Amino acid sequence: MIKTTMNTLASALVLSAMGLTAASADVLDTIKERGTLVVGVKADYKPYGFLDSSGNIIGIEPDLAKDVADKLGVEVEYVPVVSSNRMQFLEQGKIDLMIATMTDTEDRRKVVQIVDPNYYSSGTNILALKSLGLEEWEDLRGKPVCGIQGAFYNKSTSQNYGAEIVAFTGTAEAYSALKAGNCAAFVYDDSAIVAKTNDPEWSDYEMPLKTIDDAPWGLAVQLGEDEFASLMSDMITEWHKSGRILELETEWGVANTPFAEAMHAKFK
Amino acid sequence: MSYKTDLPVMKPFKPREPEPLLGFRPWHIVVIALLVFFGPSLAFAQAGVPLLTPFAVLLDWVPLLLQGFIFNLAISFLAMALGTALGTLLGLGQISLSRATRGVSWFLTQFFRNAPWLVLLFFAMFLLPFEINLLGVSIPFPDWFKAILGLSLPVMANVSEIVRGAVRSLPSGQWEAAESLAYSRRQTLWLIILPQCVKRMLPPWMNLYSILTMATVLASIVGVSEVMTLTGQALAAEGGRPELLAPFYGFVLLLFFAYCYPIARFTVRLERKFAVIN
Amino acid sequence: MDVIFEWFRVLYDETGINLPFLYDAYDRNRMVDGFFTTIRLSLVCLFFSVLIGVVGAWLQGSSFKWTRRIVNGYIQLFRNTPPLVQLYFFYFAIGTMLPTVENDWGGQSPILGSFAWAAISLSFFAGAFNVEIFRSGIEAVPKSTVEAAEALGFSRLQIYRDVTLPLAFRVVLPALNNNLVNLVKTTTLAYAIAVPEMLYEANQIWSDNVNVTEMMIFLLLAYFVLVGILVGGMNRWERAMRIPGFG
Repeated sequence: MIKTTMNTLASALVLSAMGLTAASADVLDTIKERGTLVVGVKADYKPYGFLDSSGNIIGIEPDLAKDVADKLGVEVEYVPVVSSNRMQFLEQGKIDLMIATMTDTEDRRKVVQIVDPNYYSSGTNILALKSLGLEEWEDLRGKPVCGIQGAFYNKSTSQNYGAEIVAFTGTAEAYSALKAGNCAAFVYDDSAIVAKTNDPEWSDYEMPLKTIDDAPWGLAVQLGEDEFASLMSDMITEWHKSGRILELETEWGVANTPFAEAMHAKFK
Repeated sequence: MSYKTDLPVMKPFKPREPEPLLGFRPWHIVVIALLVFFGPSLAFAQAGVPLLTPFAVLLDWVPLLLQGFIFNLAISFLAMALGTALGTLLGLGQISLSRATRGVSWFLTQFFRNAPWLVLLFFAMFLLPFEINLLGVSIPFPDWFKAILGLSLPVMANVSEIVRGAVRSLPSGQWEAAESLAYSRRQTLWLIILPQCVKRMLPPWMNLYSILTMATVLASIVGVSEVMTLTGQALAAEGGRPELLAPFYGFVLLLFFAYCYPIARFTVRLERKFAVIN
Repeated sequence: MDVIFEWFRVLYDETGINLPFLYDAYDRNRMVDGFFTTIRLSLVCLFFSVLIGVVGAWLQGSSFKWTRRIVNGYIQLFRNTPPLVQLYFFYFAIGTMLPTVENDWGGQSPILGSFAWAAISLSFFAGAFNVEIFRSGIEAVPKSTVEAAEALGFSRLQIYRDVTLPLAFRVVLPALNNNLVNLVKTTTLAYAIAVPEMLYEANQIWSDNVNVTEMMIFLLLAYFVLVGILVGGMNRWERAMRIPGFG
């Protein structure tokens, strides 16, 4: 009895050790074996990744993830992530691929493998009432400004421009607080704000400032997954070349962004 | 001979049971909750009002929110089971004969009782690994499991106190009588003391369960897809319309009320039934 | 002082244990502010929840059926729903329905900010428990004592204020303290509506510095000490206030 248990344990050990080495060698094999590609996407970032009423995550980034899964010939599974946990999820192997509105920074490149070229771009801007007549970032000094917990520009907005950041856990809370007048403005990614200003519900609001920190977004895989990264790199080039990004922007009701147009022109 | 008076300075302090809400019975509340929330939406739908009223929007999301709520309940069951098992051990540790066991159990109980639930949840969420490798077998630790662990820590500490309190509340004559009948300490504990404690522990244990159920929404802050997370995502998907806030959050309040209120009434009834007549 | 702060910077460089709230002036100010916000929020909530408890217990003894029913309804609603959802409901749902005032930046903002709503919501939550606690204490006061006060010509309010309540207060103290300690722990929920209390500030710091582990351990210890001091103080007070020979 004990002997069989030991044997089972030993074989389990060997098997899992093999599994582990295989996994660290190439995540692509794991994905194909599993039959699903697990992608971390946003679930509260309309229209890039949000929820429909039956609980599915939809939007531009889920569509991109679907393209990847189709290319690999597997099913796609979305895991909702937020800014404060997306890199940890990828590091821990909970997701294979992250397409979650993440700004490409040097620091982040040390933690995860961000794939070149960048697939999208956005900067930091604010959403504020037109009637406030804000013109410069300096105008925010001393005013409460809503933000999202875990966003990198919270600290710079408060340190450089003296705004009092009021950070919420999700975008729904931040938008509600802005609408209620708890904050003078909401500091967020300009891509999301542009989409918001087109919404009739938000017609009194504008994006009045010059976008700062304009930085490309990076989709990322685990460090060391070179094969997967090069496949993703080809994938992104293909998206730009075929105008897939522009097409998705139109489909989800976003005005075509200069970045996407420039990339399309570059790779065409 | 003891002196007796019918004019005592103070009568004994008995925790008071809350009275029923407006004289309603538990099942009345459920019916009213359903009517308040679905009544208007059904009426609107029948009247052919365009599907844009807040209640109609809510109705659209109700199935998803209910799924989220069921997830909350699942978290509460598992955290309670785990917390009770660990807490019973810790509680018995607190009455152990060994000084060291008593000390450690006391410290653990106090530590996890004094820490805020939300902080413990953050702790479990961010500091536990995504998976652990035990003998080469990797056991995944998904978010919901971490939430269960995080919530079971304060439950454990509170159960520990409940067990200790119940054991200490028994008259010492019980221990002495068992000893005179040559029961060992373990036999006394399992055959005589704990069976009598169950009755005393049940009401506070159920109160704790109620508190735990209400604490499961804290998991939304750390990103588990339970009812509050889904409410936030639903509100984001609907574009952050302010008139939706009251119905959505109100609906979540009602869900919990419809579940916790009957439990609270049942606890009161149990307390009455098990009341120890001194 | 600066020497000590600098030592923690060296500690970070040498060992990777990152405690920016000690060596970085900006983060240190945030943490100190967060600590005092927690204390301030706790004190405000303690005061109002006890007040709600005292008034509610008095109203519960009212001879009007509907007064009693309303108080009971309040107790049941607040005891059986999650405090976090109550907080959201107050801040987002009720907060947006109230009239607005002109603010200093030329817009309209609600009369009450997140701190005020957290204070209101948590006071009502803890108050619901306090009403029951005070009510039990009042019931422990013998009828004969009240009758004696009546015979001396005290009014109902005077009896409550000068006779029943002081006696009741001494017996309810353990239960009350227990609830108040819970209240202090519950103030962490204010984090969700961006009240800059200790947990919120710690979260800001770990978002900026990616030092979750250090901040989490610091937070746990900070609350352990804070609540421990509170519990210790309350226990001493309980002993001092005990009615000799009672209980």
